[in-house]
Amino acid sequence: MRAVHKNTLYWMAVTFILFPVLILVGLFMRAVQADQLGGAQAWFYPMMTLHGVGMVGVWFVAAMACASDILERYCDPSAAVGRFALAGTVLGVLLLLACVFLGRFAAGWYFLYPLPLKGEWPAWSAVTFLLSITVLGATWLVWCLDLLRAIAKKYSLSRALAWHYLAGRGEPELPPSVLIITVSLIAAVAALLAGVIVLVLFYVELLSGATSDTLLMKNLTFFFGHTLVNLAMYLGVAALYEALPEYAGRPWKTNRIVAISWNAVLLIVLFAYFHHLYMDFVQPGAFQYIGQVASYFSAIPAAVVTIFGALLLVYHARMRWNIASLLFFIGLAGWAIGGVGAVIDSTISVNVALHNTLWVPAHFHTYMVAGLAFLVIGYFYHRCQEVARVPENAGAQAFTTALLVIGAYGFFAMFYLAGAYAVPRRFALYPLELNHGAGYSLAALVFASLFLAGFLLYLVSIWTRWFKAMGARA
Amino acid sequence: MRFAEVLVFVCSLLAAAAATAATDGKVLFEQKCTACHTIGGGKRVGPDLQGVTERQPRDWLLQFIVAPDKLLAAKDPAALKLFEEFNRIPMPNLGLSEADAQALIEFIATAGAAARPAAPQPAAQPALPQPDLGSLQSKALAVFLAITAVIVLVFIWVGASTRAPADVNTAKAYGLRRVLFITAAVLLTALLAATLPQAPYAAGDAKADRVVYVATRQFDFVFSEEPITSAEDLGRVRRMERPEFARGELVEFRVTSLDVNHGFGLYNPQRQLIAQTQAMPGYVNRLRVRITEPGDYKVLCLEYCAAGHHLMHSGLTAK
Repeated sequence: MRAVHKNTLYWMAVTFILFPVLILVGLFMRAVQADQLGGAQAWFYPMMTLHGVGMVGVWFVAAMACASDILERYCDPSAAVGRFALAGTVLGVLLLLACVFLGRFAAGWYFLYPLPLKGEWPAWSAVTFLLSITVLGATWLVWCLDLLRAIAKKYSLSRALAWHYLAGRGEPELPPSVLIITVSLIAAVAALLAGVIVLVLFYVELLSGATSDTLLMKNLTFFFGHTLVNLAMYLGVAALYEALPEYAGRPWKTNRIVAISWNAVLLIVLFAYFHHLYMDFVQPGAFQYIGQVASYFSAIPAAVVTIFGALLLVYHARMRWNIASLLFFIGLAGWAIGGVGAVIDSTISVNVALHNTLWVPAHFHTYMVAGLAFLVIGYFYHRCQEVARVPENAGAQAFTTALLVIGAYGFFAMFYLAGAYAVPRRFALYPLELNHGAGYSLAALVFASLFLAGFLLYLVSIWTRWFKAMGARA
Repeated sequence: MRFAEVLVFVCSLLAAAAATAATDGKVLFEQKCTACHTIGGGKRVGPDLQGVTERQPRDWLLQFIVAPDKLLAAKDPAALKLFEEFNRIPMPNLGLSEADAQALIEFIATAGAAARPAAPQPAAQPALPQPDLGSLQSKALAVFLAITAVIVLVFIWVGASTRAPADVNTAKAYGLRRVLFITAAVLLTALLAATLPQAPYAAGDAKADRVVYVATRQFDFVFSEEPITSAEDLGRVRRMERPEFARGELVEFRVTSLDVNHGFGLYNPQRQLIAQTQAMPGYVNRLRVRITEPGDYKVLCLEYCAAGHHLMHSGLTAK
């Protein structure tokens, strides 16, 4: 039994507090869209910004906490840097809350240039937002670099990328989770550096008035945002590689195919972001086509290697089912289903009809919530229970999982249907011609409430285990 | 005689100055105000300005046009009332001088008097029935549902298999993986070959029947048959209030933005999204659409652009 590091337990607490709060913010948004909160409409866009930045941030740090916890088994990440990351994240969140609640900042989670400088919010709130993202980005960059340092010290970077497997050598053995974390962290550093450039250009404009090229800023912003979200998902998959074998009673090892697959992912993930700019017709055509090719072929390593490998691990296994293994298994399906929605949308000729409709939040909620979040909260439970060893109530855990699944897929379904019916995303209220969007919002509100209830039951279930794991540290 | 000549000269100067002020007011109104206001055309993001010069003291109007942020900060009751009434979207400080504001007030007063009495705001309109799915969207949804069903069935099958634990023939499984890999690679390559030529950029060589320039800004679409590249052009070009097209025309929309990123999403008379492009400051995206059906088309902004985003819409007509 391996104790859980205090930092990891704190990250769990951060996730357990922020996630339900941000779900409530999401419920508020759907209630406004359903025309149930007429007087609160002016808060829709600030809350949309909080929900977006908050959710992306929470699941990035939660996935990083999983990665850090896994790496502690194999190498030696710095505890001090871990604490620094926690403190920086708390400061970034406080700045974010200030600019949203006091300044009504509302430029959306990817703050597309030049909107932060040209909205109805006061200038100080835009500056506070940029400071918030700067603090978060700089902190996370240091965190990623430290984890990479720890990996490189133990394995060397080429071994951590399993290049010796590519050359046909299986020794020294490399845990697949370390390979995936290495790939993800390299992509994270690239993404965060792009984010740094975006922020620097914003500051240059604030200080000197020199404007930036909108197409360049759009490319940098989406490279930053898309890559960060993607690799958070991969970190969740690393947690799956680490923990699922313990429930299946079978090993899941690195081999040549796994090595080829994840090295390919590193290349592909850096080019897939172009699909966010399909509707910018001035973007060079080659980039658009590369975007579709990269988006399509990103499905092969995911589906044929990871998902197939996980299914093979479970197939006829003497499986120990509990809420953790259920969430791992269903989370894998969520990743696959969300991926299908994403690949469809990444087809340029289809994107014309789906871009910036509710189809977009449909697929990213599927793999972020029913994929990444399921994997991460499954891993958190797995680690706490590993230490606490509290007797489990199978019926209650199955019920909790069912609530989470029904709630999640219910509200995803409303997004998918509304997206197919061309209802735009990010509309506080729908015009008369698209007022069927309000009906989908109302139904989504009900399902998302079920999901929240499921998550609260999950918290009830993990509560004592978390405290015992914390106590085991003392 | 000499005095009379001077008098005529002075009068003509005054008349010209008055005409210039009126013209300036009109130009300023086109450039700075029409995104949010009409004169007799009903509410938009902000109030209909018809009769505003009679409802509010001129001094107050002057202050509000020049520095609305200061009045709001000073908690001026009338400014606060407007702020609350219009979804807490503040009137921005447009950097106008007192002379500009004066010209605007004169124009609003003149145009308001000339406009017909404002039509009463229509009562809440009944909800429209859900539209039919677009052809492309229904195919996308069908493909998504079919593949999702397969994924769900495979997961249920694999999950159920754990009820009967047994060893798995990994060699056979790896053989199946090879088949899956080849199948997926072939399928994806075929899909790429089939769909890439249908990208909207591929049709760029065809000659358009009509070219329409579209300038977007918070929270308005401006159509014209003359190029619009800056806010100054707005007062110069002739605006098309609601462009009309002939059925079957291939129209090229040259879309740009004068402030932040916007989207130009075109919905057909069946309320299905049929085409879109982004509107970016400093760039012009050329979107080609063949107008195949007669009727009213809706244009919506499909890129979030701040508080009035969902109110940013326009329309076209095809005959």
